[in-house]
Amino acid sequence: MREQAFRFGRARHLVGIAGFPDRGEGTVGVILLNAGLVHRVGPFRLHVDLTRQLNALGYPTLRFDMSTIGDSGAAGESRSRNQQVSADVDDAMALLAQHAGCKRFVLVGLCSGAEKAHNVAREPRSHEKLAGAIFLDNFAYRTLGFRVRHYLPRVFDARCWKRWLARKAKEQAGAEAPVFGVAPLPQEVVRGDLRSMVARGLKLNLIYSGGIHMHFNHHRQFRECFGHVMDDPAVSTRYLKETDHTYVLTGDRQRLIDHIGEWLVRHFPIVQAGALP
Amino acid sequence: MSRADQEIPFFFGDGDELFGIYHPAAGAASRAVLLCAPLGQDHIRCHRLYRQLASTLAMQGMPVLRFDYYGSGDSAGSSVEVDWRRCLDDTVTAVRELRARSGAERVLAFGARLGASIALTAAPAAGIDDVVAWDPVVEGATYVAAQDAMQEAMRLDTQRFIRARGRADAEGQWLGFAVSPTLRGQLEAWRVAPQTAPSLLLESAPRPVEWRKLFGEETRIQSLEDLTPWDELSRLEAAIISPPLVQAVADYWRERAYA
Repeated sequence: MREQAFRFGRARHLVGIAGFPDRGEGTVGVILLNAGLVHRVGPFRLHVDLTRQLNALGYPTLRFDMSTIGDSGAAGESRSRNQQVSADVDDAMALLAQHAGCKRFVLVGLCSGAEKAHNVAREPRSHEKLAGAIFLDNFAYRTLGFRVRHYLPRVFDARCWKRWLARKAKEQAGAEAPVFGVAPLPQEVVRGDLRSMVARGLKLNLIYSGGIHMHFNHHRQFRECFGHVMDDPAVSTRYLKETDHTYVLTGDRQRLIDHIGEWLVRHFPIVQAGALP
Repeated sequence: MSRADQEIPFFFGDGDELFGIYHPAAGAASRAVLLCAPLGQDHIRCHRLYRQLASTLAMQGMPVLRFDYYGSGDSAGSSVEVDWRRCLDDTVTAVRELRARSGAERVLAFGARLGASIALTAAPAAGIDDVVAWDPVVEGATYVAAQDAMQEAMRLDTQRFIRARGRADAEGQWLGFAVSPTLRGQLEAWRVAPQTAPSLLLESAPRPVEWRKLFGEETRIQSLEDLTPWDELSRLEAAIISPPLVQAVADYWRERAYA
């Protein structure tokens, strides 16, 4: 494999590292989106380790900084954040198409990166280029099942009540402070999006960690949140209870990378030149 | 074309193993700056600040090279392959690359934490003329002990994990990065050599150090108003941002241009 650094995009404002495998030309390209504001190497270099292992399996990859994150600048456009994300992903796809011959792509995103991948995948015509998406700790909703699993063991625990009261007092004290944030998509909208993605042929892999246990606390919650579409063979789900949100331990990180590699090989096998399909 | 468009990402060194971003300055420059990154999570936390500093210095007329050591950032190698001696060699290689690209006669270096330690140690071999150090690590053994303590606290942290993790899950690592016994041993044995003093030392770490005793009277010492939370576990993944630091470095080298 080899890696190459690029400055690219519609305003030459994006910076990324493409990884090219020694074999497997024409297969899906895998594009990694920024996790929060961490630059393209990913939390604790997760994106570097992941892209290199995928290159070794035969997949071309691109880890890059989206507009205004990491080493990338602004495109100087007047667009919404979602439109900008879509345009950045289009630029990333064009780069891998040009240099690795990829026609279809899989997006990988953690946390806000997953949200960005979701927003790209939910576009009605995304399937024309997108073959799949891997969502790490994407949208999660506190279902009835979540509340039962979360609160029931705590009802008779005095320490939990004490912590709860302290938190409430703190919240009240800070009630005047303005809060800036982006409201997540409503649960019904996300359900519909996932159904639409699967109906349009996308393969989805949802991997949630114990790091978001205040919102998601059991494998069953995938179905509780998103409904029957979670049973579709095109959808894989995994709940990694032991791990934290950003895979700070090297063993957890390696298991995640192995899982992603296995999922890709299962859904997007590498076809060797000259081999019968 | 904006200045950001001119920042050039590239691989360099033997086998193109090192990743760097070159920030050209307008016109010919007699001085160029190498930014030496810290290691481990400090490297990721400081990424934005290093970019801001590089842009500021380039706008001030000094070409800048930021780069990743072997086994870190976008450079080749895995995290467990980070090696102190190799970091020093990579710094020498980066200085050579910076001289070739910029044509500058003098190379200055800036580093935070272990990045400052690397710049100071590599300076004689690399031909670095001046070092500005921000909260440099001066005693490897103390740094190793602090990293071990934070790693232990992290594996027990039930804000991060649902349940505390076992020792075996966390051993041989510091805050997200595998650490080889070699690197650990190299750092434990390392102390800053007083003969390689920085010309400016910026301090913002909560623990006071007797800088004068270490570096003598030649080093200018400047305290930043806000403390930098280098070793706060709760802020392990928060970026280190410090406009006063960027300003202080830029002002200092602007002032020295006329000295």
